[in-house]
Amino acid sequence: MKLTHWTLNLTAAAVLASLALLAQDTLRYNAQPRGSKVTINGTSNIHDWEVEGEVIGGYFEVESAFGTDKSLKSVTSLNTPGSAPKSALFIPITSLKSQVAIGRDKMDSVMQQAMKADDNPQIRYKLTEMTIKGTVPDSGTPVKFDTKGDLAMSGMTNKIDMEVTMERMDDGKIKFSGTKVLDMTGWKIEPPAPKLALGMIHTGKEVTIKFEWLLAPRHVNK
Amino acid sequence: MKQSHLSEVNRREFLAGGSFATLMMLMGGVPLNAADEKATNAEGVTSYKAKSVPVKVGVIGCGVWARDILKTLSLLPHGPVVAICDTYPAFLKRAGNLAPNAKHYGDYNELLADKNVEAVIVATPSHLHKDLVLAAFKAGKHVYCEAPMGTTMDDARAIAAAAKNNFKLNFQAGLQSRSDKQIINLEKFIRSGAPGKLIKGRQQFQKKQSWRLASPNPDREKEINWRLDKDISLGLIGEIGIHQIDVANWFLANLPLSVSGFGSLLQWKDGRTVPDNVTVRIEYPGGIFLNYEATIDNSFESEMGVFYGTDAAIMMRDRRAWMFKEVDAPLLGWEVYGKKEAFYKDSGIVLGAGATAQTAQEKKPAAPGATAAPASDVADEVSALQYALDSFLVNSHLVAAGVKDFIDTYGEGDDQALKDYLKDQEKNYLPAVGWKEGFESVVTAIKAHEAVMKGEKIVFDKAWFNVA
Repeated sequence: MKLTHWTLNLTAAAVLASLALLAQDTLRYNAQPRGSKVTINGTSNIHDWEVEGEVIGGYFEVESAFGTDKSLKSVTSLNTPGSAPKSALFIPITSLKSQVAIGRDKMDSVMQQAMKADDNPQIRYKLTEMTIKGTVPDSGTPVKFDTKGDLAMSGMTNKIDMEVTMERMDDGKIKFSGTKVLDMTGWKIEPPAPKLALGMIHTGKEVTIKFEWLLAPRHVNK
Repeated sequence: MKQSHLSEVNRREFLAGGSFATLMMLMGGVPLNAADEKATNAEGVTSYKAKSVPVKVGVIGCGVWARDILKTLSLLPHGPVVAICDTYPAFLKRAGNLAPNAKHYGDYNELLADKNVEAVIVATPSHLHKDLVLAAFKAGKHVYCEAPMGTTMDDARAIAAAAKNNFKLNFQAGLQSRSDKQIINLEKFIRSGAPGKLIKGRQQFQKKQSWRLASPNPDREKEINWRLDKDISLGLIGEIGIHQIDVANWFLANLPLSVSGFGSLLQWKDGRTVPDNVTVRIEYPGGIFLNYEATIDNSFESEMGVFYGTDAAIMMRDRRAWMFKEVDAPLLGWEVYGKKEAFYKDSGIVLGAGATAQTAQEKKPAAPGATAAPASDVADEVSALQYALDSFLVNSHLVAAGVKDFIDTYGEGDDQALKDYLKDQEKNYLPAVGWKEGFESVVTAIKAHEAVMKGEKIVFDKAWFNVA
C-alpha cells in the first residue's frame, strides 16, 4: 500500500510537471545538421569493429527557465521524479557507416538487413525521465543527468537508462553526450555468426554506443 | 613462387566461399551482421547477403565502348541496366543483346524522362557529351560521363560546373585509373617515398590499328568515325592519352605548367585529319617532365608507363607493376623477399595490389621498418572499368541515401549544411574521379591536343582550371 501511495504521488507529480510545462512558455531545441556524431563499437574474435554516423535528428523541449536559470533549480521537469522534458531523437540507419577500408557499402547492407531497416529505417529514442545528477556548476555547464527512455530498434522497443552530459555552448546551443553499453540480443539482434571459408567469426553480443547530439534553440509559444 | 601459389589459394577460397564476408575478413573488416531467429539456420550461421544497393542504370550511346560497359555492368548485380539509347537502330539492337531487360530509346530525352532510370552512363561520341550531361542533371540523374568529358574548354567547363552545382547528384568522369585497385596501390607506394624524389615520367600507347570503324554506308561512316575528324575529336591524346595523363596529374600531385606537342600522319592516310603518331612533353612544377607518346602505327611495348625517382623507377604495364631500385637506394626491407623479374639488364621487383596485409603475413612476417607489404604478382582479374563502374554505382547510392537521410532529419533549406555533410561523407565513397580531377585532366588533354595540332608549346593559365 505504501508503494502504491508512493507511485500515485510520483504519477501526480509527473502529471503536474507536465501540466506546468504545457502552461508556460517552452524552449525548444532542434537538432542541428553539423556537430552531431554517433559511434557504435563492438568486438569479435578477429578484432574490434566500428560504425559511425553524423546524422541525429529530433528535439528537446523544456520550460523556458532552462535558458535563463543556469542552476536549473526552477526547471520543474528536471527536478521532479518521474518527469522529463519532451525529447525524442532518431538516427537513420542508412547514415551509419562501417569503418572499414573496403566493402563498406556491403557491410552496411548486412547491418541494415539485420536491423530490418526496410521496415524500421530509424533508431528512435524517446526520453521519459530526466533528473539532475550531482551538482550543477555555477557556469551551468557541464551538467550530468540520469535519464530513462524508450529505445526502439529493429522493430522492438526497450527501456534503457543512461547517464547523459549536457554542455551549454557559447552560441546558445546545447550538446548532449553519453555512452551506453547495450546487449543487442535485447532487440533480437543476435551476435553475428557468418560461416566463412577461413572459419567462424564470433562477435560479442554487447556493443557500446557513444553519441554527441548538438541542438540549437527555437522559442515556441504555447 | 610460393607467394604466387598462396595468392591463388586465397583467391580460390574466396571465390569458392562465394561470400563477401570472406573478403571482409581478409580485408580486416568484420560485418555487423546480426541475426534474428529467422535469419539464422540450424548451424547458427546467419543468412544475410552482403550486397550493394542496386542503382538502375540507363546507357546513352551504344557504340563499341558502350558495349564493353554493358558487358561489365552485367558482372555487377547492383547495376541493372533498365534503359539504353542510341540514334542508330543497329547499335541499339546489338546493345540490347547485352541488356535484355532494358527499354530501348532512340531519343535521349525520352530515356531521361524515364522515372525508372536513376543513373546514366554517357558513352556517346565525346563532342556530344555536354548537352546530354546537362539534360541528365536536369532530369535528376546521377551521371557517369565517359572520357574525355568534352572536346572543348567551354563544353568541359560547362559539364564540370553542372556537376559541381548539382551536388545532390553523383558525377563521375570516366577515368578509370583512379578507381583501379592496382593503380591506387601504386599511388600509395609512390606517396610512401619509396621511389625517392620523383624526377620524370614516361608513358606510351602503341598499337598498330587503323582506328577506323567499319560502316554500312558513307553517311554512317562519317558519323561513326568521328574520332578521325580534327574538328570534333581530340585525337589520340584526348581519346586515349587522357587516361595516362590523368594518372600523371595524380601521381605528380600537381597541375601542369606547359605542354609541347608534335604530331604526324604517317600510316593511315585515308582522309582522316588527326595524326596517327603524337608526342607531347608536359612540364610540371619542380622541373618534372612527362613525356607521352601515342601511335597507331607500331605496337612495340604496347601501353606502359614509367615514373622515375632518385631511388627507384616504377614501371606499369599490363596492369602489373615493378620497381627498379638504384644501387645506392636505401633498403626498404620487404623488397629482399619480393619476387623479381628480369627486364633486359635490370631486375624488377614485382609490385601489386593483390595481397592484403593478412595474406602477406601468411606468406612471411613483415620485415621490420617495411614501408609497404610484399605484393602479389598476379594481375588483377577485375578490370579497371569494373572498378570504376562499381564506384559509380555505390557512390550514386551513397549520395542519394545521404541526401535523403539529411533532408528527412533536418528538412530542406540549408543547402550549405547539406553540401558540407555530403563533402564529409566522401570519405565513405569508393575511389573515383569527380568533376574537379576530371576537369583538370581534360583541360590538360585539350591543351595537349592543341599543342600537337599546332606543333607548339602552350603555357597553362591557372584560370583554365577554374570552374564557376
